[in-house]
Amino acid sequence: MSWAIELNHLKKQYKNAWAPALDGLSIRVKEKSITGLLGPNGAGKTTSINIICGLLQADEGTVQIFGNPISNTSSNIGHRIGVVPQQIALFGNLSAWENYQYIGTLYGLPNHQVKERATYLLERLGLIKHADKRVNRFSGGMKRRANIIASLLHNPELLILDEPTAGVDVQSRAMIHTFLHEYHQSGKTILYTSHHLDEAEELCEEVIILDEGKLIAHGSPAALIEATSGAAKLEDVFLSYTGRTVRD
Amino acid sequence: MKKTIATILKEWILLKRDLGGIALLFLMPVMLIIVMALVQDAPFKDYQELKFDLLLVNNDKGRLSEDIIQGFKKSKNFNVVESVEGKLLNDSLLKLYLEKGDYPVGIVIPGGATAEVVNAANTLANELSQKLGLGGTVPAREARNTAYVRLYFNPVSKPTFRSSIAFAIDKYVTYSCSNLLVERLSKLSAMQGDTTAPSTNFDQLFQGIGVKEEMLHDNLQDKKLINSTQHNVPAWAIFGMFFIVIPIAGHMIREREDGSAVRIILIPNTRFMVSLGQILFYTLICMVQFWCMVAVGVWVLPLLGLSQLYLGANALALIPVSFAIGFAATAYGYFIGTVFKTINQALPLGAVSVVILSALGGLWVPVELLPSVMQRIAALSPMNWGLDAVNTITLRGGGTQQVLLPILYLVAMGLLLWLFSMLYEKARKVSVQ
Ligand SMILES: Nc1ncnc2c1ncn2[C@@H]1O[C@H](COP(=O)(O)OP(=O)(O)O)[C@@H](O)[C@H]1O
Ligand SMILES: [Mg+2]
Repeated sequence: MSWAIELNHLKKQYKNAWAPALDGLSIRVKEKSITGLLGPNGAGKTTSINIICGLLQADEGTVQIFGNPISNTSSNIGHRIGVVPQQIALFGNLSAWENYQYIGTLYGLPNHQVKERATYLLERLGLIKHADKRVNRFSGGMKRRANIIASLLHNPELLILDEPTAGVDVQSRAMIHTFLHEYHQSGKTILYTSHHLDEAEELCEEVIILDEGKLIAHGSPAALIEATSGAAKLEDVFLSYTGRTVRD
Repeated sequence: MKKTIATILKEWILLKRDLGGIALLFLMPVMLIIVMALVQDAPFKDYQELKFDLLLVNNDKGRLSEDIIQGFKKSKNFNVVESVEGKLLNDSLLKLYLEKGDYPVGIVIPGGATAEVVNAANTLANELSQKLGLGGTVPAREARNTAYVRLYFNPVSKPTFRSSIAFAIDKYVTYSCSNLLVERLSKLSAMQGDTTAPSTNFDQLFQGIGVKEEMLHDNLQDKKLINSTQHNVPAWAIFGMFFIVIPIAGHMIREREDGSAVRIILIPNTRFMVSLGQILFYTLICMVQFWCMVAVGVWVLPLLGLSQLYLGANALALIPVSFAIGFAATAYGYFIGTVFKTINQALPLGAVSVVILSALGGLWVPVELLPSVMQRIAALSPMNWGLDAVNTITLRGGGTQQVLLPILYLVAMGLLLWLFSMLYEKARKVSVQ
């Protein structure tokens, strides 16, 4: 079995936080799988993803992507990963097109390729009519979809999404899901975080459940449900592991 | 390199869409130049072209007062006023007008002043003729020493102005006295039977040993360079260039806040190229700013009755100078935009620091007029290096060679600030929250 992502004993303590955000976390994501990274608010999902994509430095532990440690800058891993951050990471005063042209060039892609790829993605995610509008004037759901497209221009083997469906309308979410499903079918690895468990259950082959910076459970949704007595849905599994207290 | 060019294009699109930013970058310095050049036009003219009205009460009506009046009339700076609103001035009227502040200076020539001067000349002539054995005398009596020419000033007039007037009067009185003395002496020699007129014309004699101001460089001859335009255009152009700190810092912080900065970090091997593109773009904008301001100085200010900006014999040397200033200003903005977290911190502090650096750098008042401690502090302000480099080319006839040092300083400062910002950025824990 080869792994797309391996995290080994990651520790991360934010300066002004009273508890570690990651507390010796070790997880593995199978190559060509679609895996959900689940957990209540503050579980450490975003922290893990930021460490994976190099936005954040872990205090301890190692990260390997496709078998290469990420500290090794000579390995050109960055080009094989697409990261969709939790927040919109686009130039608001540029149109969607202009954003993609610029970002595509920064990825070192030739113009015609960016054009082709962006057109395809805009069509698939229902934004082709709005391509010339400034991103600032997009609705929340449109911004999320536009944000995803920007991370897919270079057709990455590994796509990491942090809460891609947080706060979007039902139509946008369905569209994103269909797209992710297809993208996975084309042989890519997808890791995505969410707190919508029903959506994880339906989409993911594997789920990883975190709480308080630690791994709680890992397996296929069906296997996890089966292993938990009295559980009918992933939500029941989740609650039985993480308890019913509210996390803020 | 493609990444850098793409960044320049992107910044250009963004700037085009930000009309407020363009206004700040181009209109503000233009307005500053026009307003400041107009306001400072009068003080600069003070000692040059401006004609002063000089109130004069002539109680003497003799040779001495005639020489003084002629002296003031010949000097281009004074306009002798002996009557106001049809009324001939007297002592009390003169004081009244001065107190009202309508006139800067008044002179009262006492009655009998000429008689006193003639008497002094006669006494001296008699003494000389005795010592030289010429024999013969002209009438003379005891000196009375009462013939002071009195000067009155508007209380607000500056000390330099007062002393220059006193000096001028002194000169005219001396001239008058010497003239009289020579006359008496020739009179005495005539008594001895020498009938030839003096061969030298006294006026010419005086001019031969006069004082004439010359420019340090021949190519600056005939140009009145110490004027409002020549100081204000470069000063406010540089100030405007440094004001780019505001849009750059605001832009950088906004890109961090709206998350687009994260996008750049996520793309491998791009940060330096993007940063280079931004620096180049804004440096270019600064250069355009500079040359717009130069254009205002050359073509617009003359329309407003101000002097035309003179660029010196090596105007092209201003191109590297404008690049260096623009680069330093841009890097400073990049630095402010990096180290401050929020726009509310960065913008006021950026603006205030630019104003302080400009005041220290001699943009408001020429450095030469600052106290010596301040002059040494001024040498630390990059704006001062910039202004000095521009002045070297426009006023002192210098070329690229003469401004190499300030250019080097500015570029080195820019590189340091840029490098520091890049390292700072790298060390900062970027959170995507
Ligand atoms: N920049 C930060 N400074 C301090 N604490 C942080 C910071 N970012 C996240 N945390 C804390 O770290 C923990 C994990 O956060 P995060 O990874 O964002 O969780 P999740 O994405 O699963 O909701 C939380 O307790 C959160 O409050
Ligand atoms: Mg999160």
